[in-house]
Amino acid sequence: MEQKRKWKVSDLWELIKNGFSAILTGNLLLRLNAGKYFIHIAYTFLLFWILIFESLMAENALSKVERNKAKLHEMEIIYSDKTFEVASMSRRSEVEKRLAAMGSKVKEPERQAIALEKR
Amino acid sequence: MAEENNINQLPQQSTKKKRDRIGLVLYVFYTLLLIVSVLVLVKLVYFQLIWKPEPKIAGPLTPGIVKRTIEPVRGNILDCNGRLLAMSYPVYDIHMDCTVMKAEYAMLKNREKAKMKEDEWLGKARQLADGLAEVVPSINADRMFSQIKEGRASGRKYLLIAKGVDRTTMLKIKGLPLYREGANKGGMIVENRNIRKYPYGKLARRTIGFVRDNKGLPEEEIKGNPGLEGHYDAILHGTDGREYLRLTDRGRVRNYDSSYVRAIDGNDLRTTLDIDYQDVADRALHEQIDSMNTLNGACLVLMEVKTGAIRAMVNLSRDPYRSGHFEEITNFAIGRRYEPGSVFKTVTLLSVLSDGYVKNLDETLPTNHGIVKDTKMKQDIHIVDWERENKTREISVRDGFKISSNYVFGTLAVQNYAKQPRHYVEKVYSYGLGDTFDFDLEGLLTPTIPNPDDKRVWSNTTLGNMGFGYVTELTPLHILTFYNAIANKGKMVKPYLVEDIEKAGSVTDRRGPSVLNASICSKAIADTMTRALLSVTDEGTAKILRKAKCKVAGKTGTSFGTFPGGGYSDASGRKKYQGTFVGYFPAEDPQYSIICAVFSDPSYTNYRYQGGGIPAATVKTLIDYVYINDPRFRTTVPKK
Repeated sequence: MEQKRKWKVSDLWELIKNGFSAILTGNLLLRLNAGKYFIHIAYTFLLFWILIFESLMAENALSKVERNKAKLHEMEIIYSDKTFEVASMSRRSEVEKRLAAMGSKVKEPERQAIALEKR
Repeated sequence: MAEENNINQLPQQSTKKKRDRIGLVLYVFYTLLLIVSVLVLVKLVYFQLIWKPEPKIAGPLTPGIVKRTIEPVRGNILDCNGRLLAMSYPVYDIHMDCTVMKAEYAMLKNREKAKMKEDEWLGKARQLADGLAEVVPSINADRMFSQIKEGRASGRKYLLIAKGVDRTTMLKIKGLPLYREGANKGGMIVENRNIRKYPYGKLARRTIGFVRDNKGLPEEEIKGNPGLEGHYDAILHGTDGREYLRLTDRGRVRNYDSSYVRAIDGNDLRTTLDIDYQDVADRALHEQIDSMNTLNGACLVLMEVKTGAIRAMVNLSRDPYRSGHFEEITNFAIGRRYEPGSVFKTVTLLSVLSDGYVKNLDETLPTNHGIVKDTKMKQDIHIVDWERENKTREISVRDGFKISSNYVFGTLAVQNYAKQPRHYVEKVYSYGLGDTFDFDLEGLLTPTIPNPDDKRVWSNTTLGNMGFGYVTELTPLHILTFYNAIANKGKMVKPYLVEDIEKAGSVTDRRGPSVLNASICSKAIADTMTRALLSVTDEGTAKILRKAKCKVAGKTGTSFGTFPGGGYSDASGRKKYQGTFVGYFPAEDPQYSIICAVFSDPSYTNYRYQGGGIPAATVKTLIDYVYINDPRFRTTVPKK
C-alpha cells in the first residue's frame, strides 16, 4: 500500500503566502513564537556589538603600534646619526687636526707610558 | 435599560477607535520600516552582485592587503677595541609632487584669483629652490626651479629633489618655504632608507670592503668584492622578514590574520684591526709615497706574532681614473704575486741551517768573483766590490746576508741542493710558501713555486735564482706569515682578520688564532735567524731601522717586475721595482711582525724603491708609534 505524502508542493506556496502576509501585518515574529528566544536574540546582538567594538579597539591599538614604531624608528635614526658623528670624530688624525685647530699643545706621546704595578 | 446600554457602549467604542488609530499609526510606521529594509536589502544585493565601481575609486574602496619585506639591519663591523668601522646609516630621498593644489586652483571660478594663487605657489617654489641650493651645495637654484615649473606644467608627481641626504639636512629642507606647508600643499615626499657608512672614510677600505646598502650582494658581486663586507655578506646581511599590511581609517596597520615573519638583523663582525694603528700606517705610507710619481702602489701589514691577528692592513694604489692620488683600490697584500727578491734569502738560510749544511752564521764561502759555480748565472758584481773593499776572497754567511748577496745565497742553494732540488722545494712548501690557506678575504693568491720535475721551467739557473728570491712568486701576506713564524720560534700561525661574530654585544661564534704548522724550525734556529736578521738592521741594507725606538729584526728585498715577453726591462731600459721590507719587533721578544712593499711603474731610477728605502722608512714610523702607544710595551714600576 502506497504511503500518503504528508505535505504537498502547494503547502510551500501557502507557507510563503502566510509568511508574506505575516510580514505585512507585522505578525511574523509572533507567529514564529520568537518571543521565547528573545533573550538569545538579545544576547546574539550583544555579542555582535562586542565583536565590532573589540575590532575597533584592536584597530586603534594597531594604529598606535604603527605610530610608536615610527617614533622608535625616528629615535633609531637620531641614534645612528649621532653614533656616526662621534665615530667619525674619534679618528686619530681627525683628533689631531681638531687639537691643532684649537691651538692645543697636546701631541702624540714621545715616550712610553709608565704604569704602576698592580698589587 | 436600552439607554443604559447605549451609555455603557460609548466609552468602549471610543477606546476601540483610539486603539485602531494607534494600530494604524504603528502599522504605517511598520510598513515604512519594512519598505526601507526591503530597499536596503535590494541595494545590498545590487552592491554585492551587480554594481561594479569605477576603476579610479575601486582601489580606495576595496583596499587590498599589501605585502611588505622587512629589511634587516646589517651588522656592524668593529675594530678590535669595538670601534665602528662600518655601520648602517639612515638617509632620506626627497621627491616632490609638482601637481599639488594645481587642480584646486584650476577649479576656482574666479580666474584672476586662480592665477594669483598659482603665481603665489610658483613664487614659493622659487624660494624653495633658493633654499635647497643653500642647504644642498650640489643643487643649482635656477635649474631646480625650472625643473619644478616644468614638472608642474607636465603633471609630474615624483620629481627627485635630493638623494641620500642625512637627517639634519632633511629637517632643514622640511623647514623651507612651500615644504613647510605639508605634503598636501607643498608636495614634499620623504622616503627613508638605510645605506652603509664608514666612519673612518676610506681607511682600510680594501680590507673592510664596500657595499652601498643591505639589499644583499649577488654571487658575482661577492667575488668581486674582496673585503670583509663581501666575504661575510651572509652573516652581516641577516634574514629578510615579511608582513602583510591592510589599510584602515587610521593608516596602514599589520594584518594579524596574515602570516608574519620577523626580520633577523645581521650579526656584527669584530675584526682584529686596530683603527689607530691603521690610521698611523696609512698616513706613514702616504707620506712616503705621495710624491713618488712613478710609483704604482704599496701595501703594509702589521700582524701580532703570537696569534696572527692582523692589526693594520694598508693597500694603496694610484687611481688612474679619478684623482691620480693613492687610494685603497687593490689589495696588494693578498692579491699581488711577485718575485720577492732578497727577502727570500731568509728561506734559503733557514733551509741550510735546518738541514745542517751551515752550522753557524760565521761559516765562510769562497767569493769566487761572484760567479756561482756549475751554473750559467750572471756574475754578482757586489761580491767583486766586497773583495776589493775587504781585501779578502772569503765571505761569511752573516755578511752575505747583511749585504744581501745574490752570489752567497745562489751558491748556498746550488752547493747544497743541486743534487736534490726537490728537497729544497719541499722545504719551501713546508714553510707555507707554496700553498694558499683559508683567509678571511676573497682573493688570496697561491704562490708560484717552480717544479724541479717540469723541465720546461726548471733549468740550470733555476735553483740558484730561487736561492735569492727570483723564479718564485709570493704574496706579501705569505712572506709575512713566514717571517712571523721565525719570530714565533718556529710556530707558524695563520693570519686572520675576524676575531669573532657577535650578536648584540655577545659572542656567537669565536674565531681567533689557528696554527698552520706547529714547527717549521727549532727554537735555536729561529734565534739564529733573528741574529742574522738583526745584522741587516744594525749594519746591513736596513740601517735606517737602527734609529727605531726598539730593536727590529728584518730583511730588505728588491726585485724587478717582468714585462710582457718575460724580460726585466722594457725596450728603453726602464725597470719595474718591487721593494720590500719584512721583519718583526722588538727583536729580543717579538710581539709584532710587519711587511711593507712598494711597486713602481716602469722607471729609470731605483731611488727609494729598494727595500731599504720607502718600505723601511714607513715601517720605522709605525714601529715607533706602536712601541710608544701599545700597552704591552709599557714599563711598570712597583707601587710605593
